[in-house]
Amino acid sequence: MNDEQIRTLVQTVVDGETNAAIKRAEEFVHTNGDIDLALKELTEGMKEVGERFEQLEIFLPEMMASADAMKAIMKIFLPKLKESTGVDTSKGRIVIGTVAGDQHEIGKDIVSVMLEIFGFTVYNVGTDVDALEFIKRADEVGADGIAMSSLMTTTMAGQREVIEIMKEKGVRDKYFAIVGGAPVTPEWAEEIGADGYSDTAAGAVKLVARLVEERRTK
Amino acid sequence: MATPPYRMWDVVERASTGPFCEQQEFLTKILVPKLKEVIEKYGIKYDPHSPIPTQDSLADRVWEAAVELFRDVGIYNQDTHRRITFSDKEILEALSCTAGEYNVGIGKDSKILQHRGVEDRTPPFVIFSPDIIFDEEDFLTACIAYLKEPLLDGFCAPILEESMGMRIQSGTPIELAGSLEHAMSLREAARLVGRPGVFLVAVGTSQSDASQISVSDPEWGVRTTDSRLIGSITELMTNNSMMNKVVHCQQYGCYVANLTGALYGGYAGGAEGTAVLETAYHLNGLMVYQSHYQMNFPYHLKYFSNTTRELLWVVSVYSQAVARHSKLVNVSNGFANAGPGTEMLFFEAAAHSIASTVSGANLWEVAPARNKNKNRATPLEARLAAEVGHAVARSGMTREKANEVVNKLLGKYEDKIADAPLGKEFKECYDARKGIPTEDYVALYEKVKEELFEFGIDFPY
Repeated sequence: MNDEQIRTLVQTVVDGETNAAIKRAEEFVHTNGDIDLALKELTEGMKEVGERFEQLEIFLPEMMASADAMKAIMKIFLPKLKESTGVDTSKGRIVIGTVAGDQHEIGKDIVSVMLEIFGFTVYNVGTDVDALEFIKRADEVGADGIAMSSLMTTTMAGQREVIEIMKEKGVRDKYFAIVGGAPVTPEWAEEIGADGYSDTAAGAVKLVARLVEERRTK
Repeated sequence: MATPPYRMWDVVERASTGPFCEQQEFLTKILVPKLKEVIEKYGIKYDPHSPIPTQDSLADRVWEAAVELFRDVGIYNQDTHRRITFSDKEILEALSCTAGEYNVGIGKDSKILQHRGVEDRTPPFVIFSPDIIFDEEDFLTACIAYLKEPLLDGFCAPILEESMGMRIQSGTPIELAGSLEHAMSLREAARLVGRPGVFLVAVGTSQSDASQISVSDPEWGVRTTDSRLIGSITELMTNNSMMNKVVHCQQYGCYVANLTGALYGGYAGGAEGTAVLETAYHLNGLMVYQSHYQMNFPYHLKYFSNTTRELLWVVSVYSQAVARHSKLVNVSNGFANAGPGTEMLFFEAAAHSIASTVSGANLWEVAPARNKNKNRATPLEARLAAEVGHAVARSGMTREKANEVVNKLLGKYEDKIADAPLGKEFKECYDARKGIPTEDYVALYEKVKEELFEFGIDFPY
C-alpha cells in the first residue's frame, strides 16, 4: 500500500497536479506513510523532470508545474520530517537574482526552479538588483551562496561589483558567488574571481551542489 | 510614407489603468494557458519534415491564434504590474493604417525598407550586424569592413565592452561614454567608407533608457533617418524604461524596431507556441511601441541559436503569417551555432536566409558562435546570407524548393549543433587594416557557394 501510494504521489507531482498532490500528501502523512522513502522517490522523479527539461522533451511550463507541486507537498512533509529526525533537510540556501541595470529574468528563473527541484532553498531577489542588496539578502537568510545572472554585456560588470563589495565588507568567504547568463563565459568568471560558472541550468545545479558540499565539509 | 498610428499617451495611460496582476500570475496563469488554448483551437502542429511549410492554411491559423492571444493577454508592464490591452477594432485599425514601407537613410544612401510577401521576387532589405561585442580598438575597423559590403542596406555595429579603458556598466556614466563613442565612431566609419547617409541601427551599447536617449543627434549621433531597437521582455512584457525609449524616439522622430525573441523551450513551449508568440510580438510592436518594423530572433533555449530544424520552422511560419495578413515589415535575425572560419557557419547562415526570404522576411545577418563570444563575427558570413537572400528572391524560389534545399543544408550541420565549432576571431579571418577577408576565408566562402549552387541556389555572380 505504501509503495502504491508513493508511486501515485510521485506521478501526480511529476504531472504537475498541485491540488491532487497536496491531497495525496496529506493522506500519506495521515496514514503514517514513510516520508523518508517518499522523499527519496520524489527526488528521483523530480530529477527525471529536470533531465527531461534539459533535453527539451518537456518545456518550462511543464517543469514549473512539477516544481510547484513538489514545493507544495514539501510544505506538508518537511515539518513532519524535522519533527521526527530533528534534522534540517535543506540542501543549501541560495540567493539568486539578475544584476543591476538588467531586466532579463527567464534564465535566472529557470535556474531557480531547477535548484528548488533538487532540494535547495532559493531566495529569488528578482531583476535589476543592486549589488549590495544581494549581500544584505544573503546575510538575512543565512545563505550558502549568491548566484548572479546577466543577459547583457553592458550589465556583466554588475557581477564583478557584487564580488568586490563582498570583499570590501569582509564576507567574500562567507558565501560562494557564481555567475551565469548568455554573454557570460568561464574566462569572465575567472577574471572577476567568481567561484564558478555554468551555461546551463543543469550545470548550475551541479555547481551549487558541489560548492555547498565543499562548504559543509570544511 | 506614413508612420504607424500614434497613440503613445493612450498606451501610457493603459499601463497605469489596465488589469492588475503579479508577474508570475501573468506568465503562468494568463499567458501560458491562453497560448496552449489557441494552439489547440487552431490546430497548429510542428512538422519536422517540413522546416519550410508550404500550406497557406498553417500560416493563416498561426496569424489568427496570435491575434487572439494578443487581444486576450495584452502586454504586461513590469513596473506598473498591469496589462496593456487592445480591442479587435483597435488592432484592425492599426493594421489597416500601416504604411508597409519606409524611406530610411538619407541622400544617395537612402533605401526603401518594406513589407515583403511569401515567395516575393523583391530582394530582401539586408541589415548587416555582428551582434556581438568587439574590442574597443577594433571597433572602427570592423565597422568599416562591414560597411564596405555591397549588399548592405543597413548596418548595426558591434557592441562595445569598454570605453576609454573602462568596463562599460549599464546605468552608469561609463555606459553613456561608451554609447557616445559607439555613435560617433559608427558615423565616422560610414563617412570614411563613402556612405554617409547609410541607414544605421544604433546604438547597441546602450542598454539603459538614459544612454539610448543621449545619442540622438543629427550631426554626430543617431539621426531621424536611422533606427533604434526597443526590446520586449520575454515573454510579452515591457517596463517603463522601454516605454521611456519609445516616447523619446517618437518625439525625436527616428525609426523604431521592436526587438523580440520568443524563447523555444521557455514559456512559449515548443515550436508551435514559439511561432504564435513571435507573430503576436508584431502586434506588440505595432500597438505598444508604434514601431516601423519588427526585428525577430526567436531562439533555442539550449543552443541560443535559430538555425535548428525547429527554429527554422518557427522563422518560416511566423514570417508567412505576418506576410500574408498584414503590411508589417519583418526583419529576421539569424543566430548561428558555429563561429567564423567554419563551413558550418556558412551553411547555417544560408539556411536562415532561405527560410526567412522565401517566407516574406527581410534579413538581419548574422550572429555567429551562439551570440556570446567576443570578436567572433565577420562581414563575410553576412555577405553570403545576403547573396543567398537575393538569389532566392530574384529566382522566384518556391517554398517547396526552399524546403528541399534547407533539408539538404540541415543534413550538412544538424548533427554538429550540440558541439558546434567556435571558429576564429575577426582578426584571424580578416586583414583588419584593409577591411578585407583573408585568402583562406575567401576560398572557404567560394567553396560553400559552389556547393549551394549545386543545391539549387541560383547566384547571379
